[in-house]
Amino acid sequence: MPTPPAAALFLYVARCLLGALSGCLTVAVPLFLLASRSFAQSPPPAPSFTHDILPLLTRYDCNSGGCHGKLAGQNGFRLSLRGYAPEADFESLTRESRGRRVNPAAPESSLLVAKANGSVAHAGGRRILPGSAGERLLLDWIRAGMPGPDSAEAALERLQISPRSAVLQPSEQVRITVTAHYADGRQRDVTWLARYASGDASLLDVDSSGLVQALRHGEHVVRVTFQDQVEVATFTMPRNETLSPELFAVASQPIDQHVFGRLKALGIPPSPAADDATFLRRSMLDAIGTLPTPAEQRAFLADQSPDKRARLIDSLLQRPEFFDYWALQLGDLLQNRVERDHDVRGRKGVRGFHQWIRQQLVAGRSWRQLATDVLLASGSTSENPAVGYYIVTIGEKAAEESDIADSVAQAFLGTRIGCARCHNHPLERYTQDDYYHFTAFFTRLALQRRSPDEGETSLHVATRHVLNLRQQLSEQQAKLQQTPAPAADEQTRVQQRISELEKEIERNQQAAVTVRQPRTGTMLPPRHLDRSTAAISPGEDPRVQLTHWMTDPGNRAFSGAMVNRLWKHFLGTGLVEPVDDLRATNPPSNTPLWDYLNDQFVQSDFDLRHLMRLIMNSETYQRASATLPDNRYDQRFHSHAQARRLPAEVLLDAISAATGEPEPFAGYPLGIRAIQVPDPGLDSYFLTLFGRSERVTACACERSGDVTLPQLLHLQNSDSLTARIRAPEGRLQRLLTTSATDTDIITELFQAVLCRLPREDERAAVQAQLAAAATEERAAVFQDLFWVLLNSREFAFQH
Amino acid sequence: MLKFQLAQSPRRSFLQIGSLSTFGLSQAAMLRAAESPRQESGNAGNRRAKAVILVYLGGGLSHHDSFDMKPEAAAEVRGKYLPIDTVVPGLQISEMLPMLAQCMNKVCLHRGGAHNNDHHETATNWVMSGRFGSPFGDWPAIGAVAAHESGFPGTLPPYVAIPRNPSFTWELGKSAFLGGRYESFRAGDPNEASYRVRDLAPAEPLPDVRVQRRQSMLAAVDTLGRAIEANDQLAAFDQFQQRAARMVLSGEARDAFAIDAEKTELRDRYGRTTFGQSCLLARRLVERGVGFVTVNFGGWDHHAKIWEGLEKKLPDFDRGFSALVTDMDQRGLLQDVLVVAMGEFGRTPKINKDVGRDHWGPAASLLFCGAGVVPGRVLGQTDRDGAQVVDSPVGPADVACTIYRSLGIDPHKHLYTPDGRPVPILQEGNPIEALYG
Repeated sequence: MPTPPAAALFLYVARCLLGALSGCLTVAVPLFLLASRSFAQSPPPAPSFTHDILPLLTRYDCNSGGCHGKLAGQNGFRLSLRGYAPEADFESLTRESRGRRVNPAAPESSLLVAKANGSVAHAGGRRILPGSAGERLLLDWIRAGMPGPDSAEAALERLQISPRSAVLQPSEQVRITVTAHYADGRQRDVTWLARYASGDASLLDVDSSGLVQALRHGEHVVRVTFQDQVEVATFTMPRNETLSPELFAVASQPIDQHVFGRLKALGIPPSPAADDATFLRRSMLDAIGTLPTPAEQRAFLADQSPDKRARLIDSLLQRPEFFDYWALQLGDLLQNRVERDHDVRGRKGVRGFHQWIRQQLVAGRSWRQLATDVLLASGSTSENPAVGYYIVTIGEKAAEESDIADSVAQAFLGTRIGCARCHNHPLERYTQDDYYHFTAFFTRLALQRRSPDEGETSLHVATRHVLNLRQQLSEQQAKLQQTPAPAADEQTRVQQRISELEKEIERNQQAAVTVRQPRTGTMLPPRHLDRSTAAISPGEDPRVQLTHWMTDPGNRAFSGAMVNRLWKHFLGTGLVEPVDDLRATNPPSNTPLWDYLNDQFVQSDFDLRHLMRLIMNSETYQRASATLPDNRYDQRFHSHAQARRLPAEVLLDAISAATGEPEPFAGYPLGIRAIQVPDPGLDSYFLTLFGRSERVTACACERSGDVTLPQLLHLQNSDSLTARIRAPEGRLQRLLTTSATDTDIITELFQAVLCRLPREDERAAVQAQLAAAATEERAAVFQDLFWVLLNSREFAFQH
Repeated sequence: MLKFQLAQSPRRSFLQIGSLSTFGLSQAAMLRAAESPRQESGNAGNRRAKAVILVYLGGGLSHHDSFDMKPEAAAEVRGKYLPIDTVVPGLQISEMLPMLAQCMNKVCLHRGGAHNNDHHETATNWVMSGRFGSPFGDWPAIGAVAAHESGFPGTLPPYVAIPRNPSFTWELGKSAFLGGRYESFRAGDPNEASYRVRDLAPAEPLPDVRVQRRQSMLAAVDTLGRAIEANDQLAAFDQFQQRAARMVLSGEARDAFAIDAEKTELRDRYGRTTFGQSCLLARRLVERGVGFVTVNFGGWDHHAKIWEGLEKKLPDFDRGFSALVTDMDQRGLLQDVLVVAMGEFGRTPKINKDVGRDHWGPAASLLFCGAGVVPGRVLGQTDRDGAQVVDSPVGPADVACTIYRSLGIDPHKHLYTPDGRPVPILQEGNPIEALYG
């Protein structure tokens, strides 16, 4: 059992370890690759603790999350995860265990060496072969008297990898070489010490020596890590078939040109265009979360004008449902929900924030304006409903101990920095210092939490200490107002106290903004994630500088985070996946397209609808979902539309619309749609079953598109669906009581559920059932048809 | 009986193509699974369990008042109840558990449960998964991992929670990053008068002619999967559509959940309580091939008026659990079903001012039986006041490791998060060897 300090800290540290589990199972590779071309000019100096020993321990997984790098260590020997804390590691190697881990008198008998090479029993097995360069490095370091971390050493500045990109055929191999460049101009080959990871193990295999093997057609990256530097090499495995140039003849828009660029390079043919009925359904579901009615379908199909798709798109972006649906999307992103515990805002506050978001959309405010307002929110929830964002993300903690920095980075910058809270980010350059520098922007925030019956909770641009002082100040001021007035000497004392408090408050407010880095104890000022400094004037809200930096047109993280979310929303797969994990080591699948969309978004001053219009008008968006034999495995390059299950709210609304029977929601008037419900805490078996977001974190992964067994049981057999199919006021019953012909009813049911006309074979299949059934069975046959349509994949999926 | 399988249809052949990527294994994950390291054989023998029943005492059973009596301790520690003898010579448990006292020779009592967390949700996720904390929310529960490893061998879902998952401010026992496919199937409360599983039994049965009509029309209409290949979600929809239809129509699933098919006398023996009938249903389900059943029996969080609370709950537990153990034993089910009973922690030694006991991570009592566990013994020991474990402490990871080994699942095997990160099922922990001799 680990015996951690405070449970909360332990929880968080243990959480962070997850990101780093690479296990300690890598097999040691032959080390004949160790041509040490380094140190060319001077005689080899003693190995450096920081530049040699830690990378060596990292390379052989000694300090991985599964071994000594986990919080509790392993068998009493603990190292920092992948060497983020050199001083502590030095201490535990050289001082702990009564110095038995290293023995300068007999270096070979040092436990560090003997355990690693297997000459002494080691639960982790033999990590470093006897006689290998790795062992020699350890021995040389011990012989040299175990020099510790030395701040005078020239820092690692960058890695140079070769090749940076290559075209391979499946089963072809290539070796990556890695050169480290230091601040003093020194270079050396660190291929054998670097670590390698495949971006997609089904496409590319890479071993611990940097040998890459292509496995199948496609494209992905191999990530190279050495100390705190990361680089990626891109490998493309095109299909060999020569595709007819006619396939790529028409690319009317930049989006399509860029998509074709990738498809051509990879040898993937695009699917043809979707028909009008499919396009109408698809664009309505994506833009406004709503099925087209039979009347809308008829009108759209009858329209002969060549620009009808573009006009439809324009009209969708103005419809009230557009604002409903995008308030829902942004509600997920901004985590608008009732707090799990000790909620201070109540459903009223959640509704208020929801309303506020929707109003911003109606007013046509840009993502930059909306984001800035949320980020700079202060005051009470009734004055400024956007304060709700801070109530949920800061909660009951002090701002610098809360999830606010993680949440802001992930929601607004598509950047996951949470790992760096406890150790250096395993996949990115972010260090623990970077994390706390960023957190410092939020240290001048304090929530005055009040339970709803005591008044309103409010957010103040001040520290908790200052809030406390202000409280004391108002108590003192109240004393002066008392009747009868206090005695003169008491008044003087109070006046003096007031003046002290005012000075103290002023001093605190003017003080430099810093946050304590808990591992090193250093006080760190606010600094942006790209390490540019923030000049914060005394007394200024640090968030002002932060939002300037975030929304700067040059900040691709801010524009890219939204570009990627919108692209994924409409196309099913982000240009970067996971959608909110943008980083240098996770490059977009189509860089020219990425640049184009980002430029467009920035040039339109972050106009969400401009971007949506561009995407929806592209041929890429309007492609059929049917696959071709040669593009069926493509899920990244948009050769065909990607079929995916409808989101919970949209599917539930679709059932209501198709059956003509609205879903009742407790506490809301009948007829309110699921996409309009502001609060994810609303009790709904259906919405929970189909994976609505609970909005607990900023992660897009909270919304689930999974297909599960109880979902299918529910669609097939739930009392509520059965009742809706047969409802007296429902669509089918209304049709049956009119003089509608069988053909009319079949047509309308197909249009209401699948949003298209029945094919001839489908109509015939239904007619055959009607013919076979007795007259009094007519209603039952249509109920069965209705059930079949509602249980089809074509209904449950966007396609 | 309706089979949603059309042997000759194009969809069938699509299914075969798609089956590689069905049920959560993307092609990438398949390839990675193939290279999964450390294939450990272990000495399975009679320790091998076909199924596990986890009786979860959410809120935290007071060990002082149940299985770890401290009659010598001060009054504010030892509490109200007296110890009584059991069929196991030298073993005493609380007088509130007279029926269990008569079958302690079938179970192994472990008094060494210990960890350092006093928070319901955190500790529950810890004991239900064997892992502590996660940036993605919770860890997948053991049952979900077991389902992930077993797949879907029969008509019944592989992981069932009766009546539902444990839940405090949020729901525990979930499949977390493994995805919805491995979520527990919630059975509902089998003690309800007209118990039926949600969406399983039709409100009114559908005549065969209508079943066939639906099947025939669905085959004509639902053709999207023919046009779109290699789509994991579409394939999953298709698979679960057939599976759900089988569950609804085959009778096998309805029979498994048909608790009223049990003799009245036996139902009474388990107790006509949610817990008693949940135990009985758990037995029915493992008999029919369900691999992991959670019987969730919460409400042990007795911060105040603990005697009133325990006097409501302990008799239900006593009756239900002793009936489960005896019935399973008589049917030979203990040969290869492991039963574990535990909560997320024990409770404080000292009775508080509200006559309650608070959360206490460092000591708790656990019960194990079946699947090779040597019965009639006591392992682990707490100190004089039941505050700290002084002999053979076992942590959540050890219990989880024991369960995984029993099911033949390598606890060091890597799972993959949706973004491809390898995560070992357990990061630490050892099987509790002492259970087996």
